[in-house]
Amino acid sequence: MEQELEGQVADTDGPLPEGDKRTGLSRRTFLKSGLGGVLMVAVGSKWIPFSQAMEQVETDYVMIIDLEKCTGCGACELACNQRNDLPEGKSFIHRVSKGDDPDCWCLPVQCQHCQDAPCEEVCPASATYHHPSGVVLVNEKTCVGCKYCAVACPYEARIYDEDTGVVNKCWLCLDYVLGGGQPACVQACVKGARIFGRRDGLEIAEILASGRTEVLHPEFGTKPGVVRYIFPGS
Amino acid sequence: MSEHHWGWLVAIYLFLGGMGAGSFIVAALVELSGERYKHKYCPTTMVGAGVSGPLILLGTVLLIFDLGAGLREPWRILNMFTNPQSVMTWGIWILSLFIPIAFLYGILEIMHVYPGILAGARKRLHFLPETLPYRNIKRIVCSVGIALALGTAIYTGVLLSVVRAVPLWASAILPALFLVSAISTGMGLCIDLAATLAIPDVHRRFKNLPLIHMVLIGLEMGLLALLLVTALNQGGEAARSAKLILTGDGSIAFWVLVIGFGMLYPFMVHVYAFARHSHGYVSGILSGVGIIIAGLFVRYIIVAAAIPVVV
Repeated sequence: MEQELEGQVADTDGPLPEGDKRTGLSRRTFLKSGLGGVLMVAVGSKWIPFSQAMEQVETDYVMIIDLEKCTGCGACELACNQRNDLPEGKSFIHRVSKGDDPDCWCLPVQCQHCQDAPCEEVCPASATYHHPSGVVLVNEKTCVGCKYCAVACPYEARIYDEDTGVVNKCWLCLDYVLGGGQPACVQACVKGARIFGRRDGLEIAEILASGRTEVLHPEFGTKPGVVRYIFPGS
Repeated sequence: MSEHHWGWLVAIYLFLGGMGAGSFIVAALVELSGERYKHKYCPTTMVGAGVSGPLILLGTVLLIFDLGAGLREPWRILNMFTNPQSVMTWGIWILSLFIPIAFLYGILEIMHVYPGILAGARKRLHFLPETLPYRNIKRIVCSVGIALALGTAIYTGVLLSVVRAVPLWASAILPALFLVSAISTGMGLCIDLAATLAIPDVHRRFKNLPLIHMVLIGLEMGLLALLLVTALNQGGEAARSAKLILTGDGSIAFWVLVIGFGMLYPFMVHVYAFARHSHGYVSGILSGVGIIIAGLFVRYIIVAAAIPVVV
């Protein structure tokens, strides 16, 4: 599907910024061109309007984590813990240390808000779903706590809450975000390693266009939608 | 071994689901082939039909006890029927259909063996018929039930094999292994254990049974070897999982309980039984116990050796 979309994007909108062909075109720009409703693309076995297909491919928001700036202080982890009233020591963000001493660096990992989210696919209760903005959410009212999502998530982004019996995860502080604010982890990052905003926002679009950002483990095939990283030395 | 997110409860559930489905398949095949009617008393169908429903129900109850919010607010369990993409939803549907069928088969078999039950009930409930066409009803119940039993046994493997985040599980070998193991544990319970206890010379009557069971145990060992060798060759987390089983924390349980007592020993017992057309009383029972223990531990080891991909 992705290749077809790439083809469509390339055919209809001229040259794309290098390194980030799939997301180089903002959905809104494309819709403005008026072609969105006319072009049809194959998704699975169905033909659907290209505009809808783009909706599945792109998320409205992007969080870029610059690992060259990240010191691994854990302020994001703590802020997440406090913001979500999680038990002590638990957070929707966990830090993984990478590389050998003295060149070690820290990789903060949270829900990547995958477009092809394995957690959503395996959830028997349909409690995991995509918000129209592309953010992956958990309905705490319908989750049964079977932990299949936690088993299926290759990023280990799922946290089982003993108190509520629900498996939860980063929800991008969507209440803040929809109100025009920033997620708690972004606010807490004093080093400015976390850059958050709308995909078509000036700063984000510029960094995305630079081609320096990468998704974490594209080989998992999950198509992370929101979180992108600038890896050390990239 | 470190339990990732799932542990003993899930392993026991997978095992009981497998053994319940296997028992049903074994009993139903003996029923459908007409073998059941060649004997005055057939412990294999009696036990197989009688226990498959309760075993699967027990497994399902354990699975519910592993739930978080679903245990506290049981009505949430209804949500688990709603995602057709989820293998767990398929499983819930299959189990919901299979459990009543398995219980129905058990009740029919018991009523067939003990006609006094229906006669006794008729004294109070006069509208009941004098007798029922048991064989015809059971033929339908068994045919439908075998399909659902196969579904149950296979789904327990697919449940794990769709998890790409755990490379050891992400293999088509797993559903095949769990299916063969399900039938093998069913035979272990209904034939090696039950039939030997009831009729010590059972294998004199079912001449080809030891051969069939021997082939199944051999196949199970082959599939298990294939699963682990593929994992070793694959490298990374898959290989680390396999090493955990072969030489790490799980190795004693694996080599002693699964391979030794649960596969090699029963295999030899069945070779001997096939050659001599008889089971020893003690060896038959031990082989049944070994097969059942192996069925449980092979699942626990596979569940517990889950090493997720490194982020």
